[in-house]
Amino acid sequence: MNYRMIVYTVGRILLVEAALMSLPVIGALIYGDPTLLSFVITIVLLALVGIPATAKKPADARIYAKDGYVIVALSWILMSLFGAMPFVFSGFIPHFVDAYFETVSGFTTTGSTILRNIEGLPKSLLFWRSFTHWIGGMGILVFVIAILPKTESSSMHVMRAEVPGPTVGKLVTKLRASARILYGIYCVMSLTQILLLFVGGMPLYDSIVTTFATAGTGGYSVLNASIEGYHSLYSEMVIGVFMLLFGMNFNLYYLILIRQGKQALKSKEMHCYLAIVAVSVVVTGVSLLNKYTVGDAFRYAFFQVSSIITTTGFSTADFNTWPTVARFVLVMLMFIGACAGSTGGGVKVSRVMILFKSAMREIRKAINPRSVETVKLDRRKVDDTVVHSVVVFFAMYMLVTAASMLIVAIDGRDSVTTATSVIACIGNVGPGLGMVGPAGNYADFSVLSKLVLCFDMLAGRLELIPMLILFTPSTWSRK
Amino acid sequence: MYIIIVGLGKLGVNLTKQLVNEGHDVAVVDLRENRITETVDAYDVMGVCGNGATLSVLEEAGLSKAKLLIAATGSDELNILSCMIASRKGVENTIARVRNPEYSDQLPFLREELGIGLIVNPEFETANEISRIIRFPSAANLDVFAGGKIEIARVRIHADNPLCDVAVCDIHKKCKAKVLICAVQRDDQIFIPSGDFVLRCDDAISITGSRSQISGFMRQTKVYKQKIKDVIIVGGGRIGYYLAHLLEDTGRNIKIIEQSEERCLHLSDMLSDVMVIHGDGTDQDLLDEQRMQDQDALVALTGIDEENIIVSMYADSRGVPKVITKVNRHSYSILNDIGLETVVSPQIVAGNLVTRYVRALDNSAGNSRIQTLYKLVGGRVEAVEFTVPEDAGYLNIPFRELRLLPNLLIGCIIRGGRIIFPRGEDVMQANDSVIVVTAGRILEDLHDIFV
Repeated sequence: MNYRMIVYTVGRILLVEAALMSLPVIGALIYGDPTLLSFVITIVLLALVGIPATAKKPADARIYAKDGYVIVALSWILMSLFGAMPFVFSGFIPHFVDAYFETVSGFTTTGSTILRNIEGLPKSLLFWRSFTHWIGGMGILVFVIAILPKTESSSMHVMRAEVPGPTVGKLVTKLRASARILYGIYCVMSLTQILLLFVGGMPLYDSIVTTFATAGTGGYSVLNASIEGYHSLYSEMVIGVFMLLFGMNFNLYYLILIRQGKQALKSKEMHCYLAIVAVSVVVTGVSLLNKYTVGDAFRYAFFQVSSIITTTGFSTADFNTWPTVARFVLVMLMFIGACAGSTGGGVKVSRVMILFKSAMREIRKAINPRSVETVKLDRRKVDDTVVHSVVVFFAMYMLVTAASMLIVAIDGRDSVTTATSVIACIGNVGPGLGMVGPAGNYADFSVLSKLVLCFDMLAGRLELIPMLILFTPSTWSRK
Repeated sequence: MYIIIVGLGKLGVNLTKQLVNEGHDVAVVDLRENRITETVDAYDVMGVCGNGATLSVLEEAGLSKAKLLIAATGSDELNILSCMIASRKGVENTIARVRNPEYSDQLPFLREELGIGLIVNPEFETANEISRIIRFPSAANLDVFAGGKIEIARVRIHADNPLCDVAVCDIHKKCKAKVLICAVQRDDQIFIPSGDFVLRCDDAISITGSRSQISGFMRQTKVYKQKIKDVIIVGGGRIGYYLAHLLEDTGRNIKIIEQSEERCLHLSDMLSDVMVIHGDGTDQDLLDEQRMQDQDALVALTGIDEENIIVSMYADSRGVPKVITKVNRHSYSILNDIGLETVVSPQIVAGNLVTRYVRALDNSAGNSRIQTLYKLVGGRVEAVEFTVPEDAGYLNIPFRELRLLPNLLIGCIIRGGRIIFPRGEDVMQANDSVIVVTAGRILEDLHDIFV
């Protein structure tokens, strides 16, 4: 393994984080928050680690797949570690594990919180908390590829480890240009949403932080009651639609940009995604009819389905009190997640499609053992190695979920809380059911459970392999 | 420049690497998904999986943006079709790899009627390079400039060479020939030597000069090798055929050993004056039977690198004066270490041609056109020949007043057929041919050489 290159690259990421942290510093100055010093100390610490690590570029700049995975996993762990410091230094989250949980949840765009009273935090700290969603949504390494001059030719390994989905393609020939296009689309969509929310009467600060949480499909809100607290149908609809938009594959937006919109409309993954949303809204809405009026039932159903399938985790109603069928639909959506190449989490719609199609193929093969067929997606053959990796991914996803539930179960909570807390964390959703429902939080878990959930959030965001590689001994052997 | 490369064989990957390193936007097309994945992982390119002779696949690879399409698949017909599609769709420049000798007779037709800009036949070019070396065996490798007036030859300095431990500026005391040392390879390092650079034993040096001066230099430094009269070629594939064809009229005795009887019959049908032997050329008994040790040169041209290397080592150990080895996977330094000095690779030869074409395209705005380009010493040194334009700002300024980049050297200037090794007081004039040698720098225009 190329240790020097790993240290160098991770060091660069930390420096970028230091630069990004200057935004909440400005916020602290504007609002006169007492958090100014804690941000400045963190920036100094980041610089102290980052500058020596990047002082000399290693002569051997080659990185291979393994190095790429390790770089991504270490960057995310360390980024969260430093990102948690302002919470601790300022004293608003005194325990480091709690602060770490909150930051991991931010960067991985989960949105699970340990805060009982969100409104008690100063604005600059809440800004940083929501900003982590925005950074984590598209990926910090993709950001680094986009802004820093000429990155190493092998950084495709890095991009592949960070961008979700079974296969990663480039939009254009150069990696850097691809990363810039992705971030360009991301920024334009974010600005549009901020504008729409602001026009609808939401305060500017709330529009910005809510947009950060929507764009990254994170789900941190600055109100205790989440989006419900704004009591605005307009804002709910804007946020609901934008969540769905950020949950789609960004390649489709690029196709529209280069006037290939027709091709984008043909995407089978998008059709499937929208079909799942439509069916879920209808099922949930109908089941809510004896609880709310027709209008309200579908208003809540649409917002909640959109929020959960994109793994954002905003809430406009306490779905913990909904009928079992509605709650079950939401748990299923937590597993499925958003589209590949989006900012959302979960297993991803395209993986579910491949799983379903290959299962159907196996059944047909059982009926007629001599039949030969390929799995197709968008009228293209899906290579058997991809099908295989999808099946293995799903198996690992389930194994990690099961193992985590077992550890979290030690805390002795009820089974719904235990199961959905893990499902919500590994799927980067945020709120689950029971104690961790929209009205609850993760504060009461033990330190061990919180660390396991942190691991799950990172594993879910980075799609398992990078995190699992860190705990495989052969990764670290020099031979 | 936006370039589409169709076909990721060894040549395609080699070209991808070169063009990406020169900063071009490259999209690669291949049928095999694993080749695409490997290439996209290794280089900063976009990959498209599909048949490169279909319009939809090419459009996905960005045909409308492309300035150049290079078709380098194993199939001549597919390459030609791919280039035709591209040229009809408005791609200005196309390069096709066409290897079948039967097609090579209609090159002008392919070029003019079908709109293919450059046709590369790596096997023919390789045979051409080998035939140059056979005509002048003292050099390990030989490249020609200015229509043959100037050559660059590579030789190794052995322990008995009078140049051992001599500084470059003192060479004229040891030998009278007018040549210039333009690059030195020592172990794995490359030097563009200045006057105080001291040569050591086992250095491989590249020298420029006219043929007669280089010959003189070789004689005086005891590296001269006798003229080659008897050549044995192991492997009668495409390169073997082209080489025999190029050499058959030069009065040399040529023997080709080929394994397939059918191919032997075909070779004997197409070639006159060449002895075709049917048998396994990697069999030592057969080589001994064919009196390999009495030949002046052995050329190993089978399709398998390992066999070529083994045959060459065997010939070298039996004292064959000149051994030429063809390898497809180029790992230069290792082969030099085991005593194989003259190694040719079709990929490098074709890569040189394509690089020159691409640089000239890039430079269409400038006016000092690249005439010739060679990559020396395993591709780490480039020797480029430019023609000096008439309106250049650096005309008639003595070199001592011009500030040249480091690691760069003016090999020589050819003015009206006369060769000048430039000194401080010399100047460049319009229509001169200037040969520039550089390590690790990409030259597109003559004005790139100044600070």
